[in-house]
Amino acid sequence: MRLLHAELLKLRTAPRTAIGLLLAMLGLAVLGSGSTASSADESPFAIEASVSDILDVASLAVIFSLILGILVVTWEYRHGTITSTFLATSRRERVIGTKLVIGVIAGALLAVLSVVASLSVASFWIEIELERGHWELIGRIVLGTAAWAVLGVGVGALLQSQVGAIVASLVWFLVAEPLLGLPLDEVADYLPGAALD
Amino acid sequence: MIEVDHLTKRYGNTVAVDDLTFRVTPGRITGFLGPNGAGKTTTLKAILALIRPTSGATRVLGKHYSELDDPVRKVGAVLETSRYHPGRSGRNHLRVLAAQAGVPRERIEEVLELVAMKGAAKRRVGGYSMGMRQRLGLAAALLGEPELLILDEPANGLDPAGIRWLRDLLRSLAQQGRTILVSSHVLAEVEQIADEVVIIHRGNFVTQSTTAELAARAAAGVRVRSPQAERLRELLSTNGMSVVVMDDGALGVVDGTPERVGELAAANQIVLHELAAEKATLEEAFLELTAGETTE
Repeated sequence: MRLLHAELLKLRTAPRTAIGLLLAMLGLAVLGSGSTASSADESPFAIEASVSDILDVASLAVIFSLILGILVVTWEYRHGTITSTFLATSRRERVIGTKLVIGVIAGALLAVLSVVASLSVASFWIEIELERGHWELIGRIVLGTAAWAVLGVGVGALLQSQVGAIVASLVWFLVAEPLLGLPLDEVADYLPGAALD
Repeated sequence: MIEVDHLTKRYGNTVAVDDLTFRVTPGRITGFLGPNGAGKTTTLKAILALIRPTSGATRVLGKHYSELDDPVRKVGAVLETSRYHPGRSGRNHLRVLAAQAGVPRERIEEVLELVAMKGAAKRRVGGYSMGMRQRLGLAAALLGEPELLILDEPANGLDPAGIRWLRDLLRSLAQQGRTILVSSHVLAEVEQIADEVVIIHRGNFVTQSTTAELAARAAAGVRVRSPQAERLRELLSTNGMSVVVMDDGALGVVDGTPERVGELAAANQIVLHELAAEKATLEEAFLELTAGETTE
């Protein structure tokens, strides 16, 4: 509990990084859902953008969640605060464990914010009616986003380098995995990037 | 009490610390001295369980660091690598540490007061001067009111007034019976701050003695100038003293006292123009102790 409190405090007291990440995500969510929702009604042939399309936009939270997960670990190495963290808690697995919990909480929070922001922006253009399927989709986005934060924490703890961890995981999820997925169709569903589908 | 027993740490083929053994006793300030790369930080990290030694053991307060129940309340440590997230304010940095250690928030204000950082506590650490960072580090180490303090280069970046302040603060902490280990590669600092010195060089133990003893060991020199230098030199040598000729023609008597040199000269009617005890600093003692190996 003590560790959890300390980790939350770390996130709250490094406002530039955390707020920057949050604003970047919200900005993208607003732009993305705004353009998706508004483009539909200009073209006479277009099918109106559905709530599911908007939720697709909201799911971009996963990337930010991944980065946040990475940051939660690597900024301690980058700024050297990991030394005092390990001095206070010699059992290192407990430190990483707490960071995983923080990743889940923060990731889920990011997903919720992203969904809320996207839907409220889209509501200017289209009517938002959440059906059962939509709630399921939102649930999956929240879970998936939290899972990606956990992945981020893991990758961060393994690589310890901030830039290295971010670059490596983006390359993996955006380039390597889609390529691998082509020839290895039957395992593609079990690669980490498929967590969201 | 800090105990280091036959500590060895190898990184690949490099031996950072080689069979190092020493004790640090409570109630006094012990300096941990060695040139850069001597293995000081490696030793401190081993003591704090931040690295695993290749062989040997370390204990703080009778236990291995990782076996301490509430380490921050027993051992306060600042390492060179203990740095700060630049975006946090000084106070927030301490809040994080206090939360980690379960130290009540009131203590944060106390330590800020103690290191005279109250005024700057609101500012981002990124904008701090070196001296302010050192003070904040010290504040962090003192958070848990530890019995044992381990400070890596705490005087680095402090001005002379700051060093005096540090010495007074550490002295008052030592007088409360705490164990204090202060590492440094600058002798003048250790000379000013510490009561006792452990010297290591290239990962090897060199010596452990009180600061005064060490200075005295180097001070056993006499400078003497005479128009009959050649005769005096022979005389001193036959009396078992080793003599060197200095640049300006004066003689340096390594293991003599001014009294003995003066009496010998008088008995043999040698004129002396100058006779003085050479005051060596710890610096010279240190250079002497580590010289043979540094010129390799």
